[in-house]
Amino acid sequence: MNEPTQASSVRYEEATKRYPGAAEPAVDRLTLEVPAGEICVLVGPSGCGKTTAMRMVNRTVEISEGDVLIGDHSVREREPAQLRREIGYVIQQIGLFPHRTISENIGAVPQLMGWKKDRIRARSTELLELIGLDPELGDRYPAQLSGGQQQRVGVARALAADPLVMLMDEPFGAIDPINRERLQNEFLRLQAEIRKTVLFVTHDIDEAIKLGDRIAVMREGGRVEQYATPAELLMAPATEFVEDFVGADRALKRLALMRVADIDLWEAPLAHVGQATAEVRAKLAAPDVEVPYPLLVDSERRPLGWLSERDLVADVVPSRPDSPLGPVLELADVMRDALADLLQGESQYAPVVDPQGRIAGVLSVEIISEFLASPEAKSDEQPAVERPHE
Amino acid sequence: MSNQLLLAAAGDVGGDFFRQRSSDTLPCQSRPDEVFCFDWARDNIDRFGTPTVQHLEMVVLSLVLGLAIAFALALLAHRVRWLQTPLLAATGVLYTIPSIAFFFLLLPITGLGRDTAIVVLAAYTLQIIYRNTMVGLANVPESAREAARGMGFTDRQILWRVELPLAIPEIVAGLRIAALSTVAIATLAVFIGAGGLGTQIYGSGNLTFPTSILIAAAIVMSMALALDAVLLTVQRLTTPWRRARAG
Repeated sequence: MNEPTQASSVRYEEATKRYPGAAEPAVDRLTLEVPAGEICVLVGPSGCGKTTAMRMVNRTVEISEGDVLIGDHSVREREPAQLRREIGYVIQQIGLFPHRTISENIGAVPQLMGWKKDRIRARSTELLELIGLDPELGDRYPAQLSGGQQQRVGVARALAADPLVMLMDEPFGAIDPINRERLQNEFLRLQAEIRKTVLFVTHDIDEAIKLGDRIAVMREGGRVEQYATPAELLMAPATEFVEDFVGADRALKRLALMRVADIDLWEAPLAHVGQATAEVRAKLAAPDVEVPYPLLVDSERRPLGWLSERDLVADVVPSRPDSPLGPVLELADVMRDALADLLQGESQYAPVVDPQGRIAGVLSVEIISEFLASPEAKSDEQPAVERPHE
Repeated sequence: MSNQLLLAAAGDVGGDFFRQRSSDTLPCQSRPDEVFCFDWARDNIDRFGTPTVQHLEMVVLSLVLGLAIAFALALLAHRVRWLQTPLLAATGVLYTIPSIAFFFLLLPITGLGRDTAIVVLAAYTLQIIYRNTMVGLANVPESAREAARGMGFTDRQILWRVELPLAIPEIVAGLRIAALSTVAIATLAVFIGAGGLGTQIYGSGNLTFPTSILIAAAIVMSMALALDAVLLTVQRLTTPWRRARAG
């Protein structure tokens, strides 16, 4: 990026919102810190105050008591319009200006801040490229773009003036599931590049687990039930409410946080073209064999296919195996996707390859189900897993 | 009979056109059943020039004044919500006053001539322009407003940079209706001595000589259509986003 990128921490200090006439506060003494450059997801059922809490940051909701600090500065001391120009804002309805072109929409805040026209245009082009849209779309109007494209533009618009903090209020909530998944992945890719402090509101726990570095599970009255990393939340729900909210399938959800490399893979007996089948049969007969089928690999140890009984009838291993290879996984694949590939390929085993395409092991449905049943999957220990998007 | 009364009343207050009539001899008298007298039209087409210019001036000035007042009222009602209904009612009452009566009611205040006509004609445009401006502002997508606020637009910036540009189609639509009715009503301005094409309808000759009336009416209609075309062009030029569609 040509513009320098910046991010600040966000700190809630006993922040409370009371609406006149309401018996209970909408947000009750919220204390929470989001470190600079991290995504904090506020998640909870509707009416839990998550949007109210988020909107305290840019003062579209006024704070009744307590404070919110961006970096070391209280938002209460700032003039609201000035404050908001330093905070990116993305809403579910997107809210692009229908009468302005895409470039003008992206340049809205820079224009308010008095940037020169050339700089605004350059910034729009840069951001369109960053979000993966053709810069030629800059001259179109929002009505000419698809919903997914519009939401990308909404994100670009929020990033235009290099905000310290991004507020995202269910930004992908109105997008169909397939495009939502794509937008989420794109957003994670983008975030890895720009490292903004993001407050993200959603009611979808799966989205929270996928996107959040930290998740604050909230319940009615704006109280935080648990504030933790996704893995902690899944392994050790602090309260019954969190446990219910996370769902009975939380072990399954943990697969979304793991990569294939994080689990112990099996070893398949390897066979090379032209090798004597007797040798291969000997490997299969070994007592500790984990995979009962030989995997045919080339001279670089890249998998070519599975050998069947029929392939082993001849004296030497044939160059064209009888069974197709089926799905091939990579060490970097997210475990949940790997399981989906296995199930979709209707195969019990899938070879896993390293970045060079060489065989690293074999993943089976059995390995995954053993993992899910193991105490490790349920234990309170912090597992040595990396966030999928890091 | 009512025509004669009307002319008598008009003659009392304003009408130099009666003197004009008396000096003319009516043409085509040999063929009284002819609806349109081409000879007369050919010889007298010049006399429509000045009234046409007067008429157009009156209409344009009324529309500008009406737009200014209605727009100001709409902005006021946009900020002070409870004023919306009373203002709509007030402009509605103005709209119901019969035009001739309205002209004569204003005579003691603004006197004879163009000023009175412009005030009355402008008053008639208020209802339509005010109402359409309010509709235009109400139709602005709430999401655009919310996004603007969240991005740091001030209230004034939201109004001038988001809401009003988006309300232009409705505002211009109101202006177009107002322009059509103003062009027509302005023919009555002749009764308070404001000139315009009304002189050629109610004045030149008399109401039993249709040729002048037909020419004046044709000019009035052409003027209305021309103004409408101008406003439509203005609308198209100021709202290019309205024609942009997917593809």
